[in-house]
Amino acid sequence: MEASLTLRPPRHRLDRRFITWRTLQAVVWSIGVLGTLGAVWGYAEITRPYLGPVILAVAVTYAVNITVMPYARYRTHRWEATEDAVYALSGWLTREWKVVPISRIQSIDTEIGPLQRWLGLASITVTTASSEGTITIEGVDAKVAEETVDRLREVTGMTPGDAT
Amino acid sequence: MTAEEGWRRLSVRVVWLDLIRVVISLATGYLGIVVSDEPVWALVAGACGGLLTALLDLRRWQTTRYRITPERVEMRTGWLSRKHRTVGRDRIRSVDSSARLLQRLLGLRTVHIGSGETESSFKLDALDHRHATLVQHELMPGSSSAVIAGAAPDADGAAPAPERPAETVIARFHRSWIPLNVVSVWAVFAIAGPLFGLNWLLRALGVDLPELGRDLIGWDGRGPVANIALVLLIAYPLGVIATTVAFLLENGNFQLARTGTAPDTALVTRRGLLNTRTVQRTDSRMRGIAVDEPLVWRWLRLARTKVLSSGLGAAAGEATGGDILPRIRLAEAHRLAARILPDGARPLEAALTRHPRGALTRRLGAAVYGPALVSAAMLVFTLTGVLPGWWWLLPLALIPAAIPLAVVAYRSLGHAVDGAYLVVRRGIRHRRTVALQRRAVIGWTVQQSIFQRWGGRMTVGVATAAGERHYESPDMSEEQALTFITKATPDLAAAFVLDDYAEKSGSPDRAATVSANHS
Repeated sequence: MEASLTLRPPRHRLDRRFITWRTLQAVVWSIGVLGTLGAVWGYAEITRPYLGPVILAVAVTYAVNITVMPYARYRTHRWEATEDAVYALSGWLTREWKVVPISRIQSIDTEIGPLQRWLGLASITVTTASSEGTITIEGVDAKVAEETVDRLREVTGMTPGDAT
Repeated sequence: MTAEEGWRRLSVRVVWLDLIRVVISLATGYLGIVVSDEPVWALVAGACGGLLTALLDLRRWQTTRYRITPERVEMRTGWLSRKHRTVGRDRIRSVDSSARLLQRLLGLRTVHIGSGETESSFKLDALDHRHATLVQHELMPGSSSAVIAGAAPDADGAAPAPERPAETVIARFHRSWIPLNVVSVWAVFAIAGPLFGLNWLLRALGVDLPELGRDLIGWDGRGPVANIALVLLIAYPLGVIATTVAFLLENGNFQLARTGTAPDTALVTRRGLLNTRTVQRTDSRMRGIAVDEPLVWRWLRLARTKVLSSGLGAAAGEATGGDILPRIRLAEAHRLAARILPDGARPLEAALTRHPRGALTRRLGAAVYGPALVSAAMLVFTLTGVLPGWWWLLPLALIPAAIPLAVVAYRSLGHAVDGAYLVVRRGIRHRRTVALQRRAVIGWTVQQSIFQRWGGRMTVGVATAAGERHYESPDMSEEQALTFITKATPDLAAAFVLDDYAEKSGSPDRAATVSANHS
């Protein structure tokens, strides 16, 4: 009977475009952050001894974020929404499983950023009375997201509410 | 009830209170002008401020109306900008009353009506005490909404409220609580604030307090160490006296009782010698209890008790934040907890499961590599010439202190499922044991870092609508974590925790897993 319990991975994977989306996002952010830091480094000579190591560390982090992270996340992230619960696995270095029963859901949102719209992706957010209980599923095909949210709204409408 | 019916005013005695304030302000201002050749600007400014506040408060009294209907509570207030706030009665979580000294002398009470969110609470400042009790009775358990409409206080002073429901006293102020609450490492700072204030005031009057103090204790005759020791020696007892007075003022006449008839029961806390404060907490919203043991007082087994209620904020300083008892001995806290919880359970005393050895190794590791990493980062900056030569060695000095704390942190860890409650314990400076009703779980968060994956450990987070909204139990073994979740919420766990044992016996579908978890 020892070591017999395991966490079942949620059923669905994200859309493959998630990788493109996250890579583009990381590139945009790295240009912004490194550009700002680089500009300060270039113009204000006095800051160089402070900023040098910081820029190096940030550059390495973004290099990893652009090359490895999106794919690694795509391999890990999974989600599902059933009649009983919303369940998601996310993370990369640190994995995080989150589950919220349908009866405790307070609101359901979809969000589509400019990059996501262009790629046809959407994010689903399910909130509860505890902010820590919020589940965000990023990078789902926009159509699938819409269907899922419609179904969730229907199911939560039928389930007796017990938000607290 | 029509739209304009049933509106009530604040007590007319607020006007008297404001007039008294006006008189005090004028007197202070007069004093500030005549006391010396130059006007004392601090006093004059204070007087002007006081006068303005009092006049604005009069205007506020004039414009404020409130009413309580069977469905909702409403308040209209404001002069330059009018506000009209409505909250449904089923949203109301707490009704407290408090009174400052002057208010109390005039028989006034400020009534706070809380609805969970900090912004949407009402403050009726102030009602006369009979009306305050009336409002509390109307809004809190056992009160029927029928008596509300036109109830006015009788002229003979008898409370118009319905019969006060039966009360069972759970705890009363006890003298033995005083030493447990007033001796603190921070007692020295209790007199620092008043001293600063006094210095500021006296300086305005031309007295140099620091200079005076220096002369008094002969500062210049000794070395700095002896001086600091002497100051502490004088300040500490004074600080203890100050905290004693503060504690007595705040907690004198303390009483914790259960009121109302089942199922509409509530906990009532009354406290305060001069400023009284009454807090009601409905039992139907109570979701658990927590005790907090500070590290410094672990040897005395001191503990602070909090109740976890859904919909009440956990923010520090908020009256409804959950602190229900002053600091008392742990054994007494445990005994009282069984009476505070409506079901009489004793989950806080449940035997806790130890977390695996790896949790200790990880904490010891962090105690070493945490300072080492900071040190390494500082070394980089030393090499770029920003930091002077040997500074980067400083964080390493933290290691000897961090190691015993790592052991303390590990020994705090524990979890259990006990009857209708789940229990988690953790913390270094404050070891907190939280007992939460299993039905209050509104979600799970399981985390596993790379190192935890290698060591087969998991961090389990419980989301709930009560208390701090989130409680965590770090570094359980995988088996412990999933057993904990399955025991706490069998139905929910069936949706995502797989029982391999049940799988192997040939029932891979979910229905079978559910029944296996129930058996």
